[in-house]
Amino acid sequence: MHLLVCLVLLICCGVATTAQNTSEATNVTAAHSVHVTHILGFAGAPNNASGTLSVQVDVLQFQSSGKPAVEVKLASVQDVIVGELSKQVGGLPMTMGKAAAPYGGGRVVSLFAHKKYDTLTVQYVDADGGIHGAIFQLHKGEGELFRNELLAKGARISQRDGDATRRRTEEVSSESN
Amino acid sequence: MKATNRSLSILHAVVIVTATVAHLPRLAAQTAVARTASRGDASADAQWSVQVIQIDHGDVNLEPSFQIAIYENLLDELGKTKRFKQVFRDSDHSASNVSNLLILKTTVEQYTPGSETQRAVTTVTGATKLSVHSQLCTRGGHVVLERTVHGNVRFLGSNLRATHNLAHNVAKTIKEASLSEPSVSVSALVRSELDFVPSGNV
Repeated sequence: MHLLVCLVLLICCGVATTAQNTSEATNVTAAHSVHVTHILGFAGAPNNASGTLSVQVDVLQFQSSGKPAVEVKLASVQDVIVGELSKQVGGLPMTMGKAAAPYGGGRVVSLFAHKKYDTLTVQYVDADGGIHGAIFQLHKGEGELFRNELLAKGARISQRDGDATRRRTEEVSSESN
Repeated sequence: MKATNRSLSILHAVVIVTATVAHLPRLAAQTAVARTASRGDASADAQWSVQVIQIDHGDVNLEPSFQIAIYENLLDELGKTKRFKQVFRDSDHSASNVSNLLILKTTVEQYTPGSETQRAVTTVTGATKLSVHSQLCTRGGHVVLERTVHGNVRFLGSNLRATHNLAHNVAKTIKEASLSEPSVSVSALVRSELDFVPSGNV
């Protein structure tokens, strides 16, 4: 009888533990993440590396495949700026192919082989107070969403962004007049 | 007679080989000493440390990503030159304890945004051009080096490549320039400037 009670208790504990793990996993997956290319500047991450940029509870984390995750505390983020970038697709192999194409065919391909991306520039400070700047390349439209997510989690933006917004507002008002 | 000559020549050869073998370690040691001395001279050159200040875009409408890219590339390229003992970031607290510190100020003078697609299609147009005014000065404001440096992308590479080329050129200019050796008088002067408190404020 005692053995049966112990067994039941053990099973109950096991179920409770599993439930806790599931809820934790749900929290982790709830963190906002995007697929990015790290262009430069994020301390500890290799340049031009693809990976996942995510906002965890109080950190901004970059995880490149097969490499340990690199993170920065959101409280140390000083500025987040979204920009735009137009790049030729295909990298070096495509460039070589275009150069080898006869009768200037490569130039015609270049006309259509470009894509627009968003850039996310994150300025943060390290433990010594030194200023760092990191640039990430995101798919078009994801930059603004990610920036809003960062702001919601406590990252700061500088006056520069406010100026840009004001400039845009002034442009719109002058156009309407 | 011939046998004596032959044995003498063999003996001669043996003596030469023995002497050469005996002197080899000494020669190697001399080379090592010479190398150490040259390294010593290099480390004597690397007495200055440098702190890179954030890029001032001046009146130029430069994208923030370009400003950050120039700053980060400068830190990277200056570290590669081995010219400086340490390379500090802007606002780094640990730089305040360093006596022989130079401050690198960079102001953007000209920026022509190009287009990678235009470059790929036409080859001759669409170049991204950057021009900056770089100033290396002491804490006291004494200018040690002042140069205008350019960085462009004309054919291959994205627009941000211009920032890398620019930083490389700035680092190259600083590496090739002859900086005055940090003397006790300079550091003492800097310290006295820092310690100076106007009597009216006391």
